[in-house]
Amino acid sequence: MSDENKSCSVPPPGEPTATPSTAPMWIIVVTLILLFIGGIYFDRNSGWFNAKVYSPYASAENLDACQPQSGAAAFIARGKKTYEAVCGVCHGPDGLGKPGQAPPLAGSEWVIAKGFNRLAHIPLMGVAGSIQVSGKDWNMNMAAMGAALPDEDLAAVLTYIRNSWGNKASSVAGDDIKHIRAKLPAGAQPMTHDMLMQMPE
Amino acid sequence: MNPTENKTSCESEINDSLRVPLLALFGGAALWLVGGLLLGLIAGIKFHAPDFLGGCPLFTYGRVAPAANDLLLYGFCIPAALGVMLWIFARLSQSPLALPLVPVVAAHLWHLGVFIGTAGILLGGSTGHLWLEYPRAAAVLLFAAFLLIAVSAAATFGWRQEKSLYPSHWFLFAALLWFPWIYSTANLFLNAHQLPRGVVQPIICWWFASNLIFVWLGLVGVGIAFYFLPKFSGRPLASSGYALLGFLSLVFFGTWCGIPPGAPVPAWLPALSGVAALLTIIPLLAILIVAVKTVCGASVSCNGGPFCFIKIGMISFIVAGGLYIAAACPQYSRVLEFTWFGAAQVQLQLLGFTAMILFGAIYFLLPQVMGRPLPLAKFTKLHFFLSVAGALLLVVPLVAAGIVQGEKLADASVAFADANSAALKFLRISTLGQLALLAGSLLFAANIFAMTIQWKLGIARTVIDYIKSPLATAKTSEVKS
Repeated sequence: MSDENKSCSVPPPGEPTATPSTAPMWIIVVTLILLFIGGIYFDRNSGWFNAKVYSPYASAENLDACQPQSGAAAFIARGKKTYEAVCGVCHGPDGLGKPGQAPPLAGSEWVIAKGFNRLAHIPLMGVAGSIQVSGKDWNMNMAAMGAALPDEDLAAVLTYIRNSWGNKASSVAGDDIKHIRAKLPAGAQPMTHDMLMQMPE
Repeated sequence: MNPTENKTSCESEINDSLRVPLLALFGGAALWLVGGLLLGLIAGIKFHAPDFLGGCPLFTYGRVAPAANDLLLYGFCIPAALGVMLWIFARLSQSPLALPLVPVVAAHLWHLGVFIGTAGILLGGSTGHLWLEYPRAAAVLLFAAFLLIAVSAAATFGWRQEKSLYPSHWFLFAALLWFPWIYSTANLFLNAHQLPRGVVQPIICWWFASNLIFVWLGLVGVGIAFYFLPKFSGRPLASSGYALLGFLSLVFFGTWCGIPPGAPVPAWLPALSGVAALLTIIPLLAILIVAVKTVCGASVSCNGGPFCFIKIGMISFIVAGGLYIAAACPQYSRVLEFTWFGAAQVQLQLLGFTAMILFGAIYFLLPQVMGRPLPLAKFTKLHFFLSVAGALLLVVPLVAAGIVQGEKLADASVAFADANSAALKFLRISTLGQLALLAGSLLFAANIFAMTIQWKLGIARTVIDYIKSPLATAKTSEVKS
């Protein structure tokens, strides 16, 4: 067949030609800029290939935040929110504390104690002086960060820290905080290690 | 042998090999074009007179509208594009069409498939998937016919004498591979016995529609234009670097497009599609630069001829691409989705871009292949003006209708029916556009059929002459043509 084709040896004239050139640089730069913009857009709107994320939600976290919650889960979620706003700055969102600044809450014997009486006094009254946490000595002051929180919010925070980062302990109700608050020691002196140890768990 | 004799034989060998396949492809295509525009007109009239042909289930809107669109695309654009592609492959290869009988058979198979498909839709057998409405039997025929033509085109390409490739080769050869890939994939998923369930169905549908309308038609139209623009303007294509970038980026980014931003599917699909649509600015830009640099500065006036068609086609390609990107942009899509805007974009892509380029190409190549001038050459200029006026009158009001309708749909205080009827006054103008397009297509079909009849009469005359003069054996060679 190809032999037969070659019988016409003079090609028909007037076929178009192309000016040879390489791809120009500027348009490749424009492509890269558009790719960058597209990448940012994708990162913000795609939910990173999560099959459960539909528009108008943009990410899995975004979606979780909108889920209706009830009972214990809702209470813990409320505690998490307050914790991250009030306590997490020093104790860290992971509950590991910060060296020289705040002791860890994860695995702390004060947090996972059977009762929460001593624990509740710490945010309500503040702490001063040396205190033993997980076998280490911490010497510092903490203001009464929880004194201004409503009972329910403080209860939610305590429930959250007693049930996060591997901690497992009973939950705290708003009424419990109300009772503790009513019987706080007179004067605004922060608690010390000894004062806490004299209280019932 | 002396060289001039060789030269004429080479031209005529190419033309001889193409004559029958091209007439078979173009003849049917012209018929389907008229049919598609006629059905489109019927669908358009329903907006002004809802009772028009209302008693006849064959002509209800839900059947006529998809049948009209499919006729334009599968009936006209694809076979006509295949014909032009065969011609370009033979010309660029500088050798006659390989396996010339195969495309003749394939053309008839294709037109049979279109006929069965259209009848299937009108009789209520549509599959209900966008651009895949043809029932399974028609889809199988179309697929087989396309493969046969692709085999012939690929063989012509493979046996080419001129070894170096021209930019049109990339576009057109990619198109030969692209259609079988997307058409078989979409049909295997959506026309098979076991449909995928839920959101997968529209995802496949959007992917296919975008690959067909945006990528495939883009590849074909631009590939053909890149052949004709330098030819008409008498300058080389400027330049291959931009053309290569345009080709690669069209193929690479275009295929991800198509999932609308408001689609009820996992968010990463429309997000990714939106990014791809943003990046299709690159091929549009590159192709625009090639076209402008090739044409500008060439002092060749087009005067309503083939060059005019191709130029308008390229302008439409850029505008249609711009509309496509706008519709994929979330800010605009919020207003434009579910309105006439999408229809306007598709009609511009089909009638303003692809059809325009195909008309120009056919008006140029048909007289060459047939070895005689167009029988109704004066009609081409009229056809050009009717096509441009028709496309403008059809598309511009639809775009405006889409914007007005979308803004009313977004306004909670406007009733749904009021938002829809706001588009009516625009639809009245676009029906005029459809009329102009139909009139133009009749002129086109008249030229094609007059050419075919003249050619057949010529053959008959030669045969009769031959029978009348049995001793004049010198003329036998003409019978073959």
